[in-house]
Formats: sequence, structure tokens, C-alpha cells
Amino acid sequence: MRLSALGVRNVLRNRARTVLTILGVAVAIVAFMALRTVLTSWTEAVNHAAKDRIATRHKITFVMTLPKRYVDDVRSTPGVVKATFSNWFGGQNPKNENEFFATIAVEPQSFLEVFDEIQVPADQRESWLQNRRGAVVGDVLAKKFGWKVGDRVTLKGTIYPGNWEFDISGIYTATRRSVDRSTFWFHWDYLNESVDARSKDQIGWIAARIDKPEAAAQIAKRIDTHFDEKDIQTLSMSERALNTSFLGMFTTVLKAMDVVSIVILLIMMLILGNTIAMGVRERTNEYGVLRAIGFLPKHIALFVVGEAITIGALGGLVGILLSYPLVENGIGRWLEENMGGFFPYFRIADGTTVAAALLSLGLGALAAAIPAYRASKLDVIDALRRIG
Amino acid sequence: MTEMSVDTGAADRSRKVSDKPRTAMIEVRGLHKTYWRAKERLDVLGGLDLTILEGSFEALMGPSGSGKSTLLNLIAGLDRPSEGTIRVAGVDLGSLGEGARAKWRAQNVGFIFQTYNLMPVLTALENVELPLLLTNLSAADRKKRAQIALRVVGLEDRADHRPRQLSGGQEQRVAIARAIVTDPKLIVADEPTGDLDRDNAEEILKLLERLNTEFGKTIVMVTHDPAAAKRASVTHHLDKGAIRS
Repeated sequence: MRLSALGVRNVLRNRARTVLTILGVAVAIVAFMALRTVLTSWTEAVNHAAKDRIATRHKITFVMTLPKRYVDDVRSTPGVVKATFSNWFGGQNPKNENEFFATIAVEPQSFLEVFDEIQVPADQRESWLQNRRGAVVGDVLAKKFGWKVGDRVTLKGTIYPGNWEFDISGIYTATRRSVDRSTFWFHWDYLNESVDARSKDQIGWIAARIDKPEAAAQIAKRIDTHFDEKDIQTLSMSERALNTSFLGMFTTVLKAMDVVSIVILLIMMLILGNTIAMGVRERTNEYGVLRAIGFLPKHIALFVVGEAITIGALGGLVGILLSYPLVENGIGRWLEENMGGFFPYFRIADGTTVAAALLSLGLGALAAAIPAYRASKLDVIDALRRIG
Repeated sequence: MTEMSVDTGAADRSRKVSDKPRTAMIEVRGLHKTYWRAKERLDVLGGLDLTILEGSFEALMGPSGSGKSTLLNLIAGLDRPSEGTIRVAGVDLGSLGEGARAKWRAQNVGFIFQTYNLMPVLTALENVELPLLLTNLSAADRKKRAQIALRVVGLEDRADHRPRQLSGGQEQRVAIARAIVTDPKLIVADEPTGDLDRDNAEEILKLLERLNTEFGKTIVMVTHDPAAAKRASVTHHLDKGAIRS
């Protein structure tokens, strides 16, 4: 027998209480990992944004449009290799109006060149280019609605009213994590020819590939300077900066989530601390006996801390094991299907798992700090008097 | 406890112990112990003198509050005197700090409590082995010594039993094995038969007598039971913090 054996045996002493505490810790760890994954996935679009792409939008807000002719000016800007443009369509599936997904009008040829991480099989790509009513949809979206290549689907326009018919020409996947695989891309020409005169030849934003990623800021400035004297001014920035500015709108929400994840851990620590304190109270006389036969205060403290770390580690392990199916396959799948624009790749980061494991151990030890200190400071005779 | 002390037979050991010139194991001089409850001073022991010879079996009796348990705790090094000196096996316990007293207890004192105080999560063998965890012995040596101690108290066949699987008398015998496993010079017993019926109490007292006569252990026992006190060679009666006889 080793000294540690006594601590471990004490863990199993009140099994119901230990199991409930381990479950309590596990639930806290699952909640912590889910929240941290929201935070890490949220920034995934920033971390995996293309470095050689810049976006240009209306200087005031991305809701306001730019004239289509600006695309040619951007294409002729030194440093720009290719450029494409898009319009937010705001379509809904009439059969599932509550299911949100992005619907965007693009110029297919230039779009696939600028966004080469979008992967469409060659035959489907050709089919899309040839069909003005054609659309390509993400594999996640296609799976969700049961759409197949060749299907004719009708979307209800919210920004551009009416029922719009499309042919599913292809289903895309992506080679980059920042890509939402639930988007519906279709021909900008189809949109443009169907809208009223006031909305004709208007685009939402321009995306351009540049030759030198390190010159992104200079090229963006060059574009904006070019349009400074025009009737509509622009704001250009790297894709990463654009995504960051988009996320910036949700800073408060992200901070709140950050705080909540810490609060959850504090609650976990209190649950664990309470269990350990109860155990110490119940075993006061035993600690008195151990001290009487020669064990030192540090031994008693080690027993208490060891017990807390063991429970914390077990709770952490159960929590981590539960998190993968619950967070990735449960919440994650739902978020990727329904909020792919925000969470294109909802997976637990390695850092989150490591943090959860270390915090389970660390907070377990911290939760035991006060009970361990008090147990180690017990007066031997007072402790023995509780024997009866 | 050495293996030889078990195997060489009681008669030789007993003769060796009795043949030796007996020196003082415990010397108490002018011992005062005072407790404070809020602002109230409580003099539990007042200028007590006592000498207990090596290899003797002595009982401390007296009414509740007479100071016998306090005296036992002081002799065992669990507490420090307010005044006066206690020398046990030549060591002035009052001069030792808390850590040094803990180490001294681990090497020199075996404890037997009224309510046995075994660890419920450990087997009988593991309970006996517990004090040896503070030594440098190997795991195999610790186990061997614990088995020998259990054999001395006649419970080698209960080594794997948990305390709740044992009777009260058996639990106390395991506690005695735990007290002797480090081969201490001194055994202190606080009401060792207080929770036992007459037959089991008799078994325990016989075992204590055997530890005293065969293994030469010095035993100091606090008891309320006159029948138990009769088994001791000397009985000290305490009253209001002083020895009356």
C-alpha cells in the first residue's frame, strides 16, 4: 500500500456523492467546452481567411450598394490580379422559412477564380456556367433540404420580392475552414435582369485577389483613393480585416460568453470544494488518528488535495469524453447546418481540450485549498475528542 | 517490532526484560497543564510528579475530569506541558516542536483508542501497515511486518477483511497490531476495553499483558474499569489534577 492509496480509497468512500460530484464537474466541463468552442469557431473565419484577398464595399455600410462599373476600376488597379462581385439576395426556402441560409448572387466565372477554395466538380461547374438559372449549393445545405443536382427549387425573395426559380447545377465543398458550406450561390445576371431599374447594375461588394499579400493594406488604400473623388466612396480591407470588423459587432456577446465560461468553472470549483469540505468534516477523527501515529500536517493536506484532484480529473475526463459527441455532433452539426455563416467549422479546438483538462486538475486542487489547510491545522487532541 | 521478537519465544524475551536493571521510561516532574476557555483558566494538572519504569504496565484511574487523559496525551507527546518536564525514553518532550514530536511519536509510541479508530476503507493488513508508511521500509518489508503483527494478535486469517467485517474485539486487536507494528518502546491505551463486552475485554487485557511480559513493552493505560486496572502492575489514582496514590 502507498500513501496515495488512502486518498484514492477515500474517493470511493461515499460513492453516490462522488459520482454526483463527478457528474457535476463533467456537466460544467461540457458547458465550458461548448462555450469555448463557440468562441474559437467564431474566430475561425478570421484565422482561416485568405491573405491574398481584399474586399471593397460602400464606405458608409455594407448594406448600401456600389455601381457595377466599379469592378472594372478595381480590376485595373495595380496589384489586383482578379476581381469578382456579389449581391446579398436574402432568399428563403418557402417550405422552411425559419431555416436561415445565405443566398448570394455572383458572377460564376470570376467568382470561382477568386474563391478557388470553393470546389465544384468539373461537369457541374460547366453546367452552372451554362445555365443562367443555375445555382450551386453547399453540401451541408443540400443535405439539410434533400436537394440534388438537377432539382428545380423555388426561393422566396425578401430583399427582391417574388418567387425565384433555380436549377441546382452543382454541390460545392470547400478546402478552407472559413467557407460556409450552407450557402446558395447563383448568377448575378439572373438577378440583375429581373430587378427594377433603380436596383439594376448594383452590387453589394467586390472581392479581389492580389499579387502580394503583404501589400494588402497599400492596395486597399490605392482602391479607396481611386474612388475618393467619385460619387460613392469605398472602404477596402483585407478579407481578414473584413471578417474581424464583422466579428467586432459581436464583441459584447463574445465577452459575455467568455465571462460565462469562467463563471461555470467557478461553480464547478464550489461544487467540488463543498464535497471535499464535507468529506474532511466527516473524517476529522481519522485525521486526528493519523496525526497521532506520526503523520505530518503536510500528509493530511496531501490526502485532501489528492482526493480533490482525483475527483476533478475524473470529472474532467468524463466531461471531455461527453463533449466530443455532444458539442461536435450535436450542437456543432446543428450550428454548421443552420448558422454556417457564423460557424462554418464548429469543432472543439485542441487548446480547449487541453485547457479543460488542466483546469479540471488545477481547480480541483484550488477547491481543496481551504479544506486541506484546515485539515492540516487540526489540533490532534481536538480531532481525537470527536471519536466519541 | 522485530521478527525475532515474535519468533524467539516469550520465555527468553520475558526473562531478558525482567533480568535487565529497570530504568525510568517516563519521568514527569512538576507537570502543569492549563487550558483557557475564553477568559476562564482551567488547571487540569497541577504540579504532578510521576515515574514509570521501562517494561512496566501501569494504569491511570480517576473520575471524569481528573486529568488522566490529559496526562496520557502529554506522555504520548500529543500535547505540550504548560509547566514542568516530561522525559520519555530520555527525550524531553517539552523541547520538541510539533514536527519533531510527530516523528518521535511515529518511532516511539503505539496508540490504542477506545473506539479502535481503524480506517474503514483499508483492510486489516493495510490498517496495520499504515504507521510503516512513514518509514523507509520497502513495500515487501512493510507487508511482512504487518503480517507478523497480525499474527501476534491472532488475526492473520483476517488480513483482507475490512473493519466493518470484524467484531469489536477483532477491531481492537487490529488496532493493537497497528500500535505494535513499528516496535515502539511505549504503548498508550485510552480505555482500550471501554467499548467491549466482558469476554472481549478479557481477550484484549490478556493481549496487553502478553505485550508487556513477552515483548517488554511499557504500557500506560487509562481506564475506568477496576477489573482492567487490576491487570496492571501499578495503578495511579488521579483526582483534580494530582496523583492520590
